[in-house]
Amino acid sequence: MTNFKIIQKRNIWLSIAAALFVVFTISLFVWGLKFGIDFTGGSLLEVKFLGTRPSVGQIEAGLADLKLNSLTIQPIGEQDVMLKFQQTSEEIHQAALSKLNELAKKENKDNSIEEQRFESVGPSIGQELKIKSLWAIFFALIAMLAYITYAFRKVSKPVASWKYGSAAIIAMFHDVVITMGIFAFLGHFYGVEINTAFVAAVLTVLGYSVHDTIVVFDRLRENLPKSNEDFEGTVNTSLNQTLVRSLNTSLTVLLVLLAIIIFGGASIRTFVLALAIGIFFGTYSSIFIASPILVVWERWGKK
Amino acid sequence: MSDNILQKLLKPSARGKVWWVFACIMVLVLVTSLVDFGGYYNKAVDKFKIPFPKVKEVPFRLGLDLLGGTQLTYQADVSAIATADKSNAVEGVRDVIERRINIFGVSEPNVQINRTSGGDYRIIVELAGIKDVKQAIKMIGETPLLEFKEQNTEIRQVTAQETTQLNDFNKTAEKQATEVLGKVLSGGDFKALATAYSQDEKTKAAGGDLGYITEKDNPEIYNLAKNIPVGKTSADLGKVTNGYEIIKVEDKRVKTNAFSNTEEKEVKASHLLICFTGTTGCESGLSKEEALEKINKLKSRATINNFKDLINQNSTEPAARESNGELGWFGAGAMVQSFEDAVFKQAVGVISGPVETEFGFHLIYKQAERKVEEIKASHIFIKIMTEADIVGSQSEWKNTELTGKNLKSATVEFNPQDGSPEVSLAFDDEGAKMFEDITGRNIGKPVAIYLDGYPISTPNVNEKIPGGKAVISGKFNITEAKLLSQRLNAGALPVPIELVNQQTIGASLGQQSVNDSMKAGLIGFIIIAIFMILFYRLPGLMAVLALMVYSLIVFAIFKIGFSMAALLLVGIFLLIGITVNGWFILFSFISYILLYFIGGLSPVTLTLAGLAGAIVSVGMAVDANILIFARMKEEIANGKPLTSAIEDGFKRAWPSIRDSNFNTLITCFILIMFTTSAVKGFAITLGLGVIISMFTAIFITRNFLNLIPSAWLEKRHSLITSVKSSENK
Repeated sequence: MTNFKIIQKRNIWLSIAAALFVVFTISLFVWGLKFGIDFTGGSLLEVKFLGTRPSVGQIEAGLADLKLNSLTIQPIGEQDVMLKFQQTSEEIHQAALSKLNELAKKENKDNSIEEQRFESVGPSIGQELKIKSLWAIFFALIAMLAYITYAFRKVSKPVASWKYGSAAIIAMFHDVVITMGIFAFLGHFYGVEINTAFVAAVLTVLGYSVHDTIVVFDRLRENLPKSNEDFEGTVNTSLNQTLVRSLNTSLTVLLVLLAIIIFGGASIRTFVLALAIGIFFGTYSSIFIASPILVVWERWGKK
Repeated sequence: MSDNILQKLLKPSARGKVWWVFACIMVLVLVTSLVDFGGYYNKAVDKFKIPFPKVKEVPFRLGLDLLGGTQLTYQADVSAIATADKSNAVEGVRDVIERRINIFGVSEPNVQINRTSGGDYRIIVELAGIKDVKQAIKMIGETPLLEFKEQNTEIRQVTAQETTQLNDFNKTAEKQATEVLGKVLSGGDFKALATAYSQDEKTKAAGGDLGYITEKDNPEIYNLAKNIPVGKTSADLGKVTNGYEIIKVEDKRVKTNAFSNTEEKEVKASHLLICFTGTTGCESGLSKEEALEKINKLKSRATINNFKDLINQNSTEPAARESNGELGWFGAGAMVQSFEDAVFKQAVGVISGPVETEFGFHLIYKQAERKVEEIKASHIFIKIMTEADIVGSQSEWKNTELTGKNLKSATVEFNPQDGSPEVSLAFDDEGAKMFEDITGRNIGKPVAIYLDGYPISTPNVNEKIPGGKAVISGKFNITEAKLLSQRLNAGALPVPIELVNQQTIGASLGQQSVNDSMKAGLIGFIIIAIFMILFYRLPGLMAVLALMVYSLIVFAIFKIGFSMAALLLVGIFLLIGITVNGWFILFSFISYILLYFIGGLSPVTLTLAGLAGAIVSVGMAVDANILIFARMKEEIANGKPLTSAIEDGFKRAWPSIRDSNFNTLITCFILIMFTTSAVKGFAITLGLGVIISMFTAIFITRNFLNLIPSAWLEKRHSLITSVKSSENK
């Protein structure tokens, strides 16, 4: 068992967390998340050029007739090109395909294109997804708070059991905001867009963060009745007892995620990146935020 | 400990019990391996000729993003429908779409209704492995157009002066066409000439490009283009009904089916039908056995030369005598499935054995087969003037107020006089009234029924017909009648639909994703295995073995399937099994197997997000083991003897494993309820993974550890931890 004085130095940890939280909240509000077509509506078309790939400028010129709104063209890998635009109709889709085919043929008659992926999302669907995602997050929060309150009902002294739930949720909130803040940053500077999978990642981070916090609280739950230290000391002991486990679990999960990021193909990379960031901060928050908050809360109660 | 084996088996000691459980786990491993690797097992049985029974191969059900394919989401506009009827109407839409797709034979199309929280109705159509999405969209949105027409009494004749005018115009047109032809032949750019001169407004801008056409699409142009070699243009002016054509042929190829991606074929065949009681419209009075016997006898006599006579004498198809059982040329989708399957497989010039369809037994003589050719052509069209241009587009027929909208149902019936097949139409109340009016004002005159713009029947009205029933009788055989009624019933969509979402994934991209995920999963697994064994030694190794069992179970469940009921039942039993009494674990498997046999399970559709969920759940699965082992080390450090430290590690870690995993399950549950498709797939696999991981990480790891005699282990402390226990030794 390790014996670090974590709780005693809680002001440092809470300050770091608060600083990060503020920085990424600002990033979130200033830059905002870059929503992908899942949310905004629009089309995404990925084609492979069999033969030489025309330059972005050539493609842009070739598609000029179609007057595609907010068109972005992004080369992917060796032969692929990804196009995003606002229109979602099937006619536009077909027209764009035939124009691209013409472009491919211009260079060499035998060249052609192969459609890899096409997604079109009507604007109403995008709006609906936003609302749905918010509801999902809201319900998840309520359900977790209720469960923790129930699971910790027997240890309501010296801290009420709902405060365990609240502390876990504050820690989780910190993780989620930081993850979103980092994506706002990535969106602004690297054009990383968020999609449905990102919502899944955020919800998973939410679950994981609380999961991690519960493990610490569980130890506290076990130690409290038999401990002869004060509350602060008991919390610190419990933290130390679970520290190795927390680090090991996060390390294994992060290693797996890293494997997916490196080998797992482009389409789920954003998703896994969000998971990895969230889980990293989830581990931090379960050790350095949730438990210190409990202690702070207990102190206030005494005054 | 060295009693005889039988006694040991029947009255297990504590250690005996451990071996029993181990045996059960091994059976589980064997069964799940057979499910997972059934294909390899069967191959091995074949190769080495081992006398083992073969197992049923269960494939993974891959989602569209892994398989390649298209997902189309339609929004149904139900604003005009009363609230109570809305879901009915939408189910109608789904059925129509399903039937339209089925006509074209996509493998396992998936059509679902999804009611959104906002009260909208969506229809999600999933077409796996489809190549030509454009055609699919067209097909789904297409409505068969049924019209009823009456004679146009106000036909105006052309005057002599107008005839002169017309002839003058056409002479000019011919001259112009000849000039353009001259320019084409002398090497002018066809596209530019088409844009400059063609009077076909639709294709003119695109250099006259008609795309690929088949004989069905445009018979006049097809027949002209047929004789022109690829890359060449017409050598002389082609004359069509309303003008002159100069054609350039760019490509000729065999048409491929948009769904199966195979070459489309047409066959020419005739058939002899012996129906039996119970088949559609049969009056032969033969039982199935008698019919089969009869057709076998006929088969033994049949030759190509006498087949026609045999049909005339024996076929129970009502119109067989007139048609000699000839079906003419037909392509895929024209006949009932079983007939079509047989005739397309059959060799040319052969009479088949008995083929059973819903009409009875057939002998089929396949006379010829050809590929459907399509030609890519461009054209320059010079219009001539016809009488219709002068007197207006007046046809012999004019529309009445009655249309397919008023159709309630269509059924195949048989004419009581000659037994020929007919399609009977029933109209709704409004339609019945209209039909009565129409027949009333057309007594003694013909009324035409048009389908998709072509007349299919023009009966004479003998009397006013009340009651809202009409009959299309005519030149079709049973199969055609059946198809027509199917199409009409599949018919009009009850409410308008709009395509709001479309997702297409190319097959190669899907395959790439599968490979990438497999690689990521494998590497992740190896990393975890190394980490666990290095850090937790022997227990770590056991955990890795348990993790392998975990993977086997998870993939078997993905294949066999699961349901909400299974999740609840199995979950509860497993929980009791782990905490209270191990026998409940057996219950959970029995209840799962039972659900499998009563069909309460459906395979998990694996998507990319789903695979990610499965991989992430491996990480979560290890967490339970880490919790246990960390606790175990601690107990040892506190001076407990090894066996009780192991025991306590499991016992004390349980509450936190329970609470933390339960929490993840809550998240999964909410994700499953509130989200769709990709995210849902992720939540399902993650949730399943969490439940199963609790079982493997706790129950199986513990069993594996218990297998090792404690006395032996006690001497080898370093297999578990480097921390020496302070007392006790």
